[in-house]
Amino acid sequence: MDIRGLTALITGGASGLGAGAARVLSEAGARCALLDRNVDLAREVAAEIDGLALACDVVDTASIETALAAASAELGVPRIVLNAAGIDVAIRTAGPKGPHSLAEFERVLRVNLTGTFNVARLAAQAMTAEPPLNEDGERGVIVNIASVVAEDGPIGQVAYAASKAGVQGMTLPMARDLAPFGIRVVTVAPGMFETPLASGIPQSWIDAIIPTVPFPRRWGNPLEFGALVRQICENPMLNGEMIRIDGAIRMGIEHS
Amino acid sequence: MEIRDQIAIVTGGASGLGAATARHLAAQGARIAVLDINENLARQIADEVDGIAIPVDVANDTSVAAALATVRSRLGVARIVVNAAGTGIGRKIASSKGPHPLESFRRVVDINLTGTFDVCRLAANEMLALEPVTADGERGVFVNVASIFGFDGPVGNTAYAASKAGVIGMTLPMARDLAPYGIRVVTICPGVFDTPLARAETGDAGFQRILDLVPFPRRAGKPAEFAQLACHIVENSMLNGEVIRLDAAMRMGLMI
Repeated sequence: MDIRGLTALITGGASGLGAGAARVLSEAGARCALLDRNVDLAREVAAEIDGLALACDVVDTASIETALAAASAELGVPRIVLNAAGIDVAIRTAGPKGPHSLAEFERVLRVNLTGTFNVARLAAQAMTAEPPLNEDGERGVIVNIASVVAEDGPIGQVAYAASKAGVQGMTLPMARDLAPFGIRVVTVAPGMFETPLASGIPQSWIDAIIPTVPFPRRWGNPLEFGALVRQICENPMLNGEMIRIDGAIRMGIEHS
Repeated sequence: MEIRDQIAIVTGGASGLGAATARHLAAQGARIAVLDINENLARQIADEVDGIAIPVDVANDTSVAAALATVRSRLGVARIVVNAAGTGIGRKIASSKGPHPLESFRRVVDINLTGTFDVCRLAANEMLALEPVTADGERGVFVNVASIFGFDGPVGNTAYAASKAGVIGMTLPMARDLAPYGIRVVTICPGVFDTPLARAETGDAGFQRILDLVPFPRRAGKPAEFAQLACHIVENSMLNGEVIRLDAAMRMGLMI
């Protein structure tokens, strides 16, 4: 898909992976709508890339509908959707501190999994009514963000791992549901990337984990994530797949 | 890693996925060694991309060593190696025709799996003595070609599926072995692509029947789309130790 002139809707677009991808897609000619709970921060990124900042909380359907309508009215119906909004908690299933809070588990699921699904279903519905963009009949692409934690869940990550494994699991059926409309669905599973979300990780854990990245032995740069998102948008044969971008890290028991 | 001015070896570079990759790498400024068992076809592609053609039988270790020595003396040591040489055979493990011949099983494994391994081990051994080319300490990258048959093997494909699952399985340990030298390893699993190998295996009618089972886009992949992903892998240093399906969301059910 030629992304020049297309609207890209990016949740969590004010920082981290969402902002990194917005910079790359914008550079490649897309017009970005940055949806975030922190609309002030979204405005800063939007000003930098000549995009549109919109307040949105992905746990709130009305908020998504409003943002989607505003993005469509201002820039055109989004043909690229990147679900980058996400949160993390570090709580063990059970232990001296008691059982994992059910409310916290559900809060992570509502943002990372249900929020992703909710944006995808509403944005896909809008896309289905749009004309195809090319001779393949392609109408758009949805890129979801899972995590290597979905497959290699470390200790204290039961909620995050469950939510991201859910995103991984949605990839194929969503791609199959949307194939008749020429909409692709691809999930990216990042490893250790330098983002505000990662800044919540204790320093001792970070000091221990970066040396276990085989190569390159450093944080991933959100622009590298963005470059992969661009490739996914541009390569029509990528569909129904989850791609790990992680410097070959696998989290073993030492990541506990 | 930047592709410009790097030396690239493409095995099976005379046709199909390999030839398309040779063209894309050359278009981005790489100097290409086209290695193929078919020397005449290899010469045509080499002429087209202003590269060199070298005959090789990847199942023959003497031939592989000689071909790599020729690359080294004529172009220098390659930092990009794409293992696209491959073969297939359609035969059930047992049927009214009798048991699958052991010889043809060994032949497919010799070419697809051991041949890939042989090229990797010898090329990596030369690569690790080079100076790094990036601030990360990157020295080179291997892109190996497996197949979705390595996961979803259809009937009559035990040899091919075993060989490609072997290539999939080598990806992570090879990436880990070579990480200390700044060498990455990524595997692509193509679905149905329009290549001489795919058409020879299925026949034109069978090829069309399989295409009806591809979710989106419902057509054969273009070798140029494979090449596009291969080039992205070379350029994106965070991609390592991963196996990427490039298959338009196809999964092979019992119908094939």
